[in-house]
Amino acid sequence: MTVSRPLALLLSLVSVLTLLGTMAPARAQAPRASPTSQPSQTPQASQTPKYGGVLVTHPLSATPSLSPHEESTVATTQQASPCFNNLVYYDPAKKQESVDTLIPELAEKWSWQDGHRNLVFFLRRDVRWHDGKPFTSQDVKYTFDMVRGAPDAKAKLKVNPRKLWFENIDAIEAPDSYTVVFRLKRPQPSLLPMLASGYSPVYPAHVPLAEFKNRCVGTGPFKLKENKPGEYIEYVKNPDYFVKGRPYLDGIKFVVIRDRSTQIAAVQSGQLDLAGTGWNRTNAEDAKKGAPKLVVVEMDNNVNDNVLINFKKPPFNDRRVRQAINLALDRKGYLVGPRQGAATFGGALLPRPAGVWGLPAVEVARLAGMGDPAKQKAEARKLLAEAGFGPGNPLKFTLSTRALALYVDTASWMVDQLQQIGVETTLEQIETGVWHPKMTRLEYQVALNLTGIGIDDPDAQLFENYRCGSQRNFSGYCSEEIDRLMVEQSQTLDPKKRLALVNEIDRKLQADGARPILGWAKQHYVLWPHVKGWVVHENSIYNVSRRQDVWLDK
Amino acid sequence: MRVYVFKRLVIAGVTLLGMSILIFVLMRLAPGNITDIVFESAGYVDEADRKRLEAELGIDKPVAVQYAHWLGEFVRGDLGKSYRYDLPAWEVIKPRLPVTLELAVLALGFSVLLGVPAGVISATRRGRPLDYALRVLSLAGLSMPSFWLGMIVILVLVRSLGLIPSMTYVSPFENLGANLFQFLLPGLAVGYRSSALIMRITRSAMLEVLREDYIRTAWAKGQRETQVVWRHAFKNASLPVITLIGIEFAFLIGGLIVTETVFNLPGVARYLVDAIQVRDYPIVQNLVMLIAVVVVLANLAVDLLYTWLDPRIKYGRA
Repeated sequence: MTVSRPLALLLSLVSVLTLLGTMAPARAQAPRASPTSQPSQTPQASQTPKYGGVLVTHPLSATPSLSPHEESTVATTQQASPCFNNLVYYDPAKKQESVDTLIPELAEKWSWQDGHRNLVFFLRRDVRWHDGKPFTSQDVKYTFDMVRGAPDAKAKLKVNPRKLWFENIDAIEAPDSYTVVFRLKRPQPSLLPMLASGYSPVYPAHVPLAEFKNRCVGTGPFKLKENKPGEYIEYVKNPDYFVKGRPYLDGIKFVVIRDRSTQIAAVQSGQLDLAGTGWNRTNAEDAKKGAPKLVVVEMDNNVNDNVLINFKKPPFNDRRVRQAINLALDRKGYLVGPRQGAATFGGALLPRPAGVWGLPAVEVARLAGMGDPAKQKAEARKLLAEAGFGPGNPLKFTLSTRALALYVDTASWMVDQLQQIGVETTLEQIETGVWHPKMTRLEYQVALNLTGIGIDDPDAQLFENYRCGSQRNFSGYCSEEIDRLMVEQSQTLDPKKRLALVNEIDRKLQADGARPILGWAKQHYVLWPHVKGWVVHENSIYNVSRRQDVWLDK
Repeated sequence: MRVYVFKRLVIAGVTLLGMSILIFVLMRLAPGNITDIVFESAGYVDEADRKRLEAELGIDKPVAVQYAHWLGEFVRGDLGKSYRYDLPAWEVIKPRLPVTLELAVLALGFSVLLGVPAGVISATRRGRPLDYALRVLSLAGLSMPSFWLGMIVILVLVRSLGLIPSMTYVSPFENLGANLFQFLLPGLAVGYRSSALIMRITRSAMLEVLREDYIRTAWAKGQRETQVVWRHAFKNASLPVITLIGIEFAFLIGGLIVTETVFNLPGVARYLVDAIQVRDYPIVQNLVMLIAVVVVLANLAVDLLYTWLDPRIKYGRA
């Protein structure tokens, strides 16, 4: 019997596929080349931005909704920011965000009055919502009354992750259609930076809140064209945008790609112009290896790896035990191990120079875990012995972490480090869906956590994560002195004095072993050279996604 | 035959009822619920708000009440509302069905088109190089997970040709060429494993039949090879193959989940995993039930095919 031609063809196809499978080489460990940190991509004088084109990129993940006020993931700020505007925003072209880089958006200008107790915004008069309705001060009042949970708010958020940011607002007044007054209980210079966050856009008062689950009516540079939840979100240029000449792009498309290797292949093949959210250095290097023209950006980041030690559960209420754990974790080992050389060291605030409020480098070098590993481990053993633990009675506990590779890698490294001082740990991987609920309820002993801070600001970081009783104070840490200092720094107007206070708090937090910081991981992106006008911010991932200045040099 | 079909339908109904209880209970046993997920994405939990949200979604009621309510709605054809997307469940599922259906049909088509002829050829060429070659291919198919094969295919494509299938779904009505490029490779990746199984079963069934007296008689009568092999031998050897195809159809879903993820296809299988992760009960329960209905019907169809293929089989008799 002869094999028919179609059959032969099919058989050859299968053979070829099999062959491809068997020939695929294992990825060799290539020698590490330091990624090139990309300089600011703002248009040069010689470069005139071009109009047109659609920027295609992938977000971190599908966004649970298009309502930034109800979410705490960069996936939401990434995919919702093109639709909205804030009163003020961080200058997209400036690498470091600070109070000095704020630019007006919906507010033409603003002024602090009455010794920083009142913040007055004078609004633009030429702004319309995407549905054509005019933007007024009522929209601002509606939005921030809702977020601060005012008793007479016209809408209530089901989930309000940043209520704390705006708890110092006593009242919001709209004396006319284009003036808004924020009256504060006490001075708080941080209010302005918090209003500039990607999490603080202004919502339209005339659109029901529930609609922001799947659609978006904003004033921003891009209008929502189509949202296929879990698949893609597509925006088109807003022709009526109040910033003349912006945006440059005809549109933006966020394609949800779950698989990391598929993301890499998609950018290599040119299907994505820009990729890298959630990537590590290896991913970026892999992408460039396959497509050498890709530009790799490595930048500092305001997301830290931290250790949660449950203050409510003995023996972790013993300072010596906390110190021992902190000392045992060799930070340089963390850098070359789980973080592949892409991290910086610091305290509770993003370290300088990328951060504005971090401890000076000389002090960071003196923090627990930064010294000679052998000496520090010996000291850790001594502290454990003083607390009653040793070879005959080893300290045993469960180390919990989120069941994600990014977390598990670091937690596994911790298990090894702790073993070296005689601590026996059992690694518990908690499903990502119940991670925060478990942490909030303090249902753990020691945990490895990642914390991203919406803005590089002491109020945003300290009150949320360290104040007694705060919902995100996952370690149950509580110090009246720290709480007092937090309020003091929050209302200090002189930046130098405030920085000194913030550093003092940071020092105390590190000494107390309140959420020891392992390090601040770097962020990585890859983009094709034709993507222009997009600058990665070194102290935030949440406030850079408006994209009105991005253009494609095609 | 009627009695048999009726009995089979009753058994199918009981199976589906059991399935509904199983999936409902399993979803409730998974740690956390949709409110945990909502607060998870918010990064904190407020217990008062959480209880309010549970009441709003009706998941604060006793489990039996929730089950009865859901099953009643399902039987009436009401798939409820997705917790996650706040949209009617059918609205969320509907656009994803054609994607999975196309992939499943292609995968199953590939597996039959590759597996059956390969099995027959392997059996008729027993002990020859072609037989060994085909057996090696089938062994490779069984050994390679479909997602890995998919990743390799993507890697080879992007490295050698600098292109990969579209990352967003292209409907066949929109661009047939692009659609086929998008679906052929994942279809092949999923179908390859099934084809390997089908080939092995076909081969062993054929080897058994080819030894029968009536086959020897057919050869003795001077019939052509194709007639002997396909008309006499394969028809009698096809029963276990058809059974396997029915079973494989159910197993296909597992392969589709990962393959849809690797090739970024917005199908039902991938969405099911997403829904499980966020405890979107209506979506998970209804999707699994729909899949169960399809699988039960597929098995029913296979059983009915048996009687047509082999009239000696009489069901429902001792």
